[in-house]
Formats: sequence, C-alpha cells, structure tokens
Amino acid sequence: MLNPGPSPRKKLTSPLPGPESAGVFSARAGTGPGGWKRLLWRGALALLIGGCLLTTACGKPADADSGPGLSGKLVLTGSSTIAPLAAEMGRRFEEVHPRVRIDVQTGGSSRGIADARSGTADIGMASRALKDGEGDLLAFPIAGDGVALIVHADNPVVSLTDEEVVAIYTGRIETWKGVGGLERPITVVHKADGRATQEVFLDYFDLQPSQVQPDVVIGDNQQGIKTVQGNPDAIAYVSIGTADFERRRGTPIKLLAAGEIAATTENVARGLFPIARPLNLVTRDQPTGLAAAFLDFARSDAVDDLIEAQLFVPIER
Amino acid sequence: MNRSSVKADRTATFLCWIVAFAVTGTFFWILWDLLGHGFKGISWSFLTTQPRDAGRSGGISSVLVSTSLILGVCLGVAIPTGVGTAAFLSEWIPRKSRVGRWIRRSLDLLAAVPSIVFGLFGAVFFGEVLGFGFSILSGGLTLALMVLPILIRATEAGFRSASEELRLGGAALGLRRATILRHLLLPAASHGIVVGLVLGVGRALAETAALIFTSGYVTRMPSSLLDSGRSISVHIYDLAMNVPGGEANAYATAVVLILLLILINSLASWATQTWLGGRSLP
Repeated sequence: MLNPGPSPRKKLTSPLPGPESAGVFSARAGTGPGGWKRLLWRGALALLIGGCLLTTACGKPADADSGPGLSGKLVLTGSSTIAPLAAEMGRRFEEVHPRVRIDVQTGGSSRGIADARSGTADIGMASRALKDGEGDLLAFPIAGDGVALIVHADNPVVSLTDEEVVAIYTGRIETWKGVGGLERPITVVHKADGRATQEVFLDYFDLQPSQVQPDVVIGDNQQGIKTVQGNPDAIAYVSIGTADFERRRGTPIKLLAAGEIAATTENVARGLFPIARPLNLVTRDQPTGLAAAFLDFARSDAVDDLIEAQLFVPIER
Repeated sequence: MNRSSVKADRTATFLCWIVAFAVTGTFFWILWDLLGHGFKGISWSFLTTQPRDAGRSGGISSVLVSTSLILGVCLGVAIPTGVGTAAFLSEWIPRKSRVGRWIRRSLDLLAAVPSIVFGLFGAVFFGEVLGFGFSILSGGLTLALMVLPILIRATEAGFRSASEELRLGGAALGLRRATILRHLLLPAASHGIVVGLVLGVGRALAETAALIFTSGYVTRMPSSLLDSGRSISVHIYDLAMNVPGGEANAYATAVVLILLLILINSLASWATQTWLGGRSLP
C-alpha cells in the first residue's frame, strides 16, 4: 500500500504505445489495483501530451501565409441579433476560402462599437444605425430588420396610427375601446433599456424613455412573443422577421400595420415600412485584404438565403 | 413514551418525507419536461454532426468537444491547485492562524462573486493581458478560478474529517509528511474531493456568463486550445433566447447536458473510489 507505484516521470522513459498497451493489461492482471493506477497515470499523461500537440501543431495552419488565396483570421464581436447571421456568413466564406477563419463573438451592439473602435475586433456588429458620436467609424449594412407592433390573434384591432401608439405607450389610452377594440384594459409590453429594438422604437415615435408607462418589461423578441401569446390584451413590439416566423408556425399573434403599410418583410425590403433598422458591420478604418473580402461577401447576393433563413431582410444593393 | 410525543414524532417523520419527496419530485419534474420535449431530438447523428443554420438544425458535436476541452483545462488546473491549497490549509498551518483565516475569507468571498464578474475578469486578464483571446484556454482558466473556492473548501473539510489517529499513527511510523498525505489523508479526504468536484463541474457545465466572453461563441470544431469554442450551456442559452425556432434543439441539448452531468457524477465517485481507494458518497 505504501509503495507509490510507478511515478509519472518513469513513464516517460518507457517504450512507445504499441508494446506499452500490452503492458498495461498484463500489469492489471498481475497486480490488481496497481494496474488501474498506472492506467490512470497514462491516461492523464496522454491527455496532457495530446493537448500540447493539438495546441502547437494544429494552431498554426490558419496563420500560415503560403500559397495563393486568402488566409488568416477575422474576429467579429457585437450585437447578439447579428451574431447568428454573421456566423452563418462566416461558415460559408470559410467553405470558399478554406484557410480563412471567421470567429464571431457576441456581447451587444455597444460592445461591437467599442471593440471596433479599440481594434479588439477586426469588425464590430451593431443592429442599429450609427449615432452622432460614432462618426469615426464606417458602417456596412448587411441586412435590414423591421420592428412591428404585435397583439394577440383574437384582438379585433388590425392597425394603429402613430398617434394611437404614442397614446397607448404613454398611458393616455388605457383600454382597447379607445382605438376601436373591445372594452378591455391594455397591457403595455416594453423592452428593457439598452436593447437596440427599444432605441429604434423610441426614436421612431419620438418618445423619451421616461414617458413610457409599461406594464411589462421584457428582454428579447421571444419573450415579447410569449407574453402576447398568453395575454389577449397585450401589445408589444418585436422584430418583424421573428414575429412573422412565429405567426406562420401557428402562434396566436397578429402583426399590426403601421398606418396603411402592412408589417411584412417585403415592405421592409422595399424600404416602405417606416419602423426599421439596418444591421451593420462596423470598422474603424477603410477595410483592406481579408476584412474587405469578407465585407464584400457579406453584402453580395451569395448570402441572401442566409439572411432570409435568419429571418432578416436582404437590403437592396 | 406518552401519546403526544408519539404524535409529534409521526408528524416530524411525515414532514421529512414530504420535503424529501418535494425535492426529488422537482428534479424528476424538470427531467420529465426536458425528456418530453428533447428526447426525440437526440440521435447518434445529433451527437456527431456540427450545428447548422445557427443551431436550428444539425447536431452539437463541436459544442461537445469544446465543452470537454474547456472542462479538461479547468479541472487540469483546479484539481492540483485546489487539493494542494486544501492540504496546506489543513495540514501545514494551524487552524486558527492569521494566514489561514485570510485565505479562507478570500475563498469564501470568491465563491460568492457572480460569474459574470469572473467572465469579465477572464476576458481582460486571460484574453487581453495574457493574449489568449477568445479561446478554450481562456474559458477553462476562468472556470478554474470559479471552481477553486468550492473545491478547496470541500477538500479541506475532507482532510479535517480524517481522524487524528491517522496522522499520529503515520508520524509514529516515521513516515514523511508527504507520504502520510498521499497514502493516509488523501484517501480519507476523497469524499470531500468528490463533493467539491461534482459541485465544481456542475457549476462549470452550467456556466454561460463566464464563458460567453472568454471561450466564446464559435461553433466550428476546435483544432487547438487557442481556438474559440462554444460550450454547451452557451449553446442552450443562445438557441432558447436568441434564435427563433431553436427551441427543439435547445431542449435536446439540455437533455444531453443532464445526461452528461449524471455521467460525470458517477464517473467522479468511481474514479476516487478506485484511484484513491477512499470511501465515497453513496
């Protein structure tokens, strides 16, 4: 019991895997529990060596700059709305250029702006237009997204004017009867501060955050849809693509028209639907090399199907 | 025994049963819900193909590989450091010493730090200062920091629970301190290590906030520890919260996570039993 058995250092001098594996079994059969111990040491050692080999051997090819074509690594950070789309674009780009890696990370639009500005990321992602203080950056729109007001499918209201929306969200109209619906109180669903959708909504209706009188505050689109789905008196605003996808899947929600214009992805694509935002890739400097190639690819027809698959709207180029 | 005390006894027994059932019941309820939604999504190809279409279709092979590499780095760093620190706290310094008290206090504080703070620290320290960037290495090291306090405290408790006679007997035989530690105290502490490991691994596998900014969001199959790789909980979170139409695969992935936790728990108690020859938890 007190014999510690073979130390890991001894193992390094023992013969290579072939004959050694036979040794493991014979040791196990011969000395009982000691064999297990040895096996575990070997396992740990193999993992360690394997890990080191992986790190040193396979870490290189992406950086190697030999032969024709593009190579290297691009890091994108920012908007969690854009991240799945950018990751799919990156995957397709990697298929065309096998020695390129596009690493997409998330963290929110503000982070995308900050990382692009500081150079931490090669490209930032922001699911809104650049603001006044962000003129030092270059924005490359890759897709569009509309924001639609949604209500429960049983709600008889089919459209709201801008004034009615403002009145509902500021608490001046408190029942659906005030906008031609039933005699029921309105549950106002609002997005949390810092969400790009909320900024787009407030911007369009020219509202200050403090003016809004919400009954429910939510985080992301899915949550908004679930809230409305479970409450026939609720009104919320979410991404048109997501809402349309859920409606087609049979979720009992209805997208309200903005005045005369129906909330459809087609109307967003044509630039008719008024409450819309661009999905932007952002760089600090005029992009060159790999970054330029990827930005061109992300704004080409080759990715239209990806944009639609992620429920966004290809923009007119 | 008089009548009223029998009655009180029965009530206490009844209450204990109820509470125990409620706890197990909750677990099985969650399991039932997950299995009901997710079990049909699990297949061999789900485990062996990479995610497609932002995770809505395809499988989780690369996510599983990244998760195990992150966990490997985490445990590879946390176990030696944690057991070493625990042995130091329990065997090398007096229980009431100032150093010991400071170490324990800082560990307890560390254990209470929210994971997002570890995530931000890891992103800055491992990612930027040490230059690992978004990588499995950054993520694993960040997790190791998170797991350490739990592991150390549980292992220390294990060492302390070893009877004093073991130490005295070892000393009487003229054994070196290291030998006593390795052959007498470590086996006796093994149940503490298992508890620490199981809690730590659970915390690590369930982690999203600390990992999304360190090991990252990339679903490509990792080819080195310096690659970014998405861990299983980040994947579940993204599918459930950020990808419309991702619920089915989110549920299936959650089932895999639960199965993984059960597997690791049994593996941990098996390994300590065979390796350290210690008594493990039932």
